[in-house]
Amino acid sequence: MQIRDYILRRLIVLPFLIVGVSIIVFGLTRIGGSPVAIYLSHEMSSEEVAEIEARFHLDEPVPVQYAYWARGVFQGDLGWSGVAAAPVTAVFPNKLAATMELAVASAVVAVSLGIGLGTYAGARRNKLPDHITRIISISGAAMPLFWFAIVMLIVFWVYLGWFPIGRSTPEVFASISHPTGLYTVDALLAGNFKAFRDAIWHLVLPAITLGYGATAIIARMMRSSLVEELQEEYVDAARAKGLAERLVLRRHARRNALMPTVTVIGLSFGFLLQGTIVAEIIFRWPGLGRWMADSVLRGDRATIMAYVLFTSVLFLVVNLVVDVVYAYLDRRVVLGS
Amino acid sequence: MSTTSTSPPLTTSHESAFRVRLRRMGETSGRVLSNPTTLGGLVIIVVMVGMAVLAPWLVEPNTPNASQMPRDWGAIAVPPGSPGHLLGTTNTGGDVLYGVIWGARTSLRLSLIVVTVTVAIGVAVGSLAGFRGGRLDEILMRIVDVFLSIPELIFALAIAAVLGPSFRNIILALAIVFWVKYARIMRAQVMHVKQNDYVDASRVIGDSSWNIFRKDVLPNSITPVVVQATLDMGNIVLVGATLSFIGLAEAGLAEWGVLVSEGQAGISGGRWWASTFPGLMVFLWALAFNLLGDGIRDVLDPKTETR
Repeated sequence: MQIRDYILRRLIVLPFLIVGVSIIVFGLTRIGGSPVAIYLSHEMSSEEVAEIEARFHLDEPVPVQYAYWARGVFQGDLGWSGVAAAPVTAVFPNKLAATMELAVASAVVAVSLGIGLGTYAGARRNKLPDHITRIISISGAAMPLFWFAIVMLIVFWVYLGWFPIGRSTPEVFASISHPTGLYTVDALLAGNFKAFRDAIWHLVLPAITLGYGATAIIARMMRSSLVEELQEEYVDAARAKGLAERLVLRRHARRNALMPTVTVIGLSFGFLLQGTIVAEIIFRWPGLGRWMADSVLRGDRATIMAYVLFTSVLFLVVNLVVDVVYAYLDRRVVLGS
Repeated sequence: MSTTSTSPPLTTSHESAFRVRLRRMGETSGRVLSNPTTLGGLVIIVVMVGMAVLAPWLVEPNTPNASQMPRDWGAIAVPPGSPGHLLGTTNTGGDVLYGVIWGARTSLRLSLIVVTVTVAIGVAVGSLAGFRGGRLDEILMRIVDVFLSIPELIFALAIAAVLGPSFRNIILALAIVFWVKYARIMRAQVMHVKQNDYVDASRVIGDSSWNIFRKDVLPNSITPVVVQATLDMGNIVLVGATLSFIGLAEAGLAEWGVLVSEGQAGISGGRWWASTFPGLMVFLWALAFNLLGDGIRDVLDPKTETR
């Protein structure tokens, strides 16, 4: 199958998957009974209740209700968030910026550290660095983020006092404007170095903590594919022509070993995305994840629906992009299987 | 008649098929456990499960409900090593040791229920799709695709949220999320196995579909499911504890995630123990099943090793 056909087919399937997810998301909010309850109070008469039901189309059959909801979503109406006391779409961009800043920082940590560790270990197979990397990789998959984050806080915030929690120092936050909602970018735009340092300082601990699991996955993959590549004949050929070991590794083996690693980088994005919920609770990071957690505890269904729908679509799109990139990089990949 | 076969006979005349199977199982277990890290995982599991089973004899059960934390209002937030509270207490006087031990029981119950239910559903759906094929397969697999589009933790979180906060609903939510993987694994296996000659042979001699599935296809397809189930015994506790940490279980439940959440309030005051010990248990539990699952996979199913 041609790459073009493959991409095309994936693109055609995508909208169906999104519709499927939206049906599940909508169905979810109906298993807990009619959502009319959140609008009601004890003094209301049955006529008033009926009027509210009619206003939100809750007296119609469920498929019709779904159609109304889906149309709303399409037109950018995600409902009212009880937790934020505002329309979901009004609060969303700011929270998204906070979450994205954290997720991207973690991804940078995970990708650079994961590839670095994996390469270092793979080139020193069965030596001490390899064993240490293996321990990091194995423990990464089993590490409860909610616990790891608290341990990191206990060590680096409570005892050592090296890093703060939260997203910024209040005085610094007030000193510049925030057009993008990404504090590092805002600080750079304002040309304020102090604010930039403050934003980075607040980012470091949550980013490393959140990135740990993904680092482990990437390092493990990088290590094993590098070990495999180093046994290939082209590596012997490169060595035979007198190339320094460092260059054999950098120019030849590592480049090829990176290919399978690309796929796990995509996978680990889902890992990061899920982790933001817990990381944001513990580090008091005012992003989507913490908003979702608050909404879950307070039964704010509009926010829950918006969050699940958004993260799933993001997850699908990222996976699609990763698969396409991989298919491009490695033409040997068996398409369509 | 002389034989030129070099491989040992599958069964010797005095050995029944059952004993052959038993002997093979013993050999496989020996190979799995010859790996020190796998053995280490198994040892941790034995200790943890032992703790879960023997909980009533290790620490006195709280009355009337043993799965609720006992409160010692005379010893609030005391450090580890205090009299009567070996691992200290929480901000509300909950004995951390009690939570660690009875939490093992809660986790064992959670993982056993969810794994049993999800394996049963997943194997049934996957087998049906893979064995029958056609339109049914197409429909079931599209449903599986949609389920897999929603990140696991977020999906379970949303389900548990709309069902209302309780440990029972966490179990239900995890069951709804985790069966999908088994369906996909089982389908792929069945599709692969049913192309074998021995399946055709059974068909030729007139075996019924059900018999072919039961005797030929199912036993030869189940290995990756066993590996995944072992890994999930750990993963389910990991995700379940995350949900209860977020606040979806009953407050005061003797469960590791609940305890970590309760201990969180004390860390800025330097009271590290209430979160640290129960969280460590979640880590060890998940780690142990990961090590065992990886070990089983390496021996039984080296092809699908996830490097």
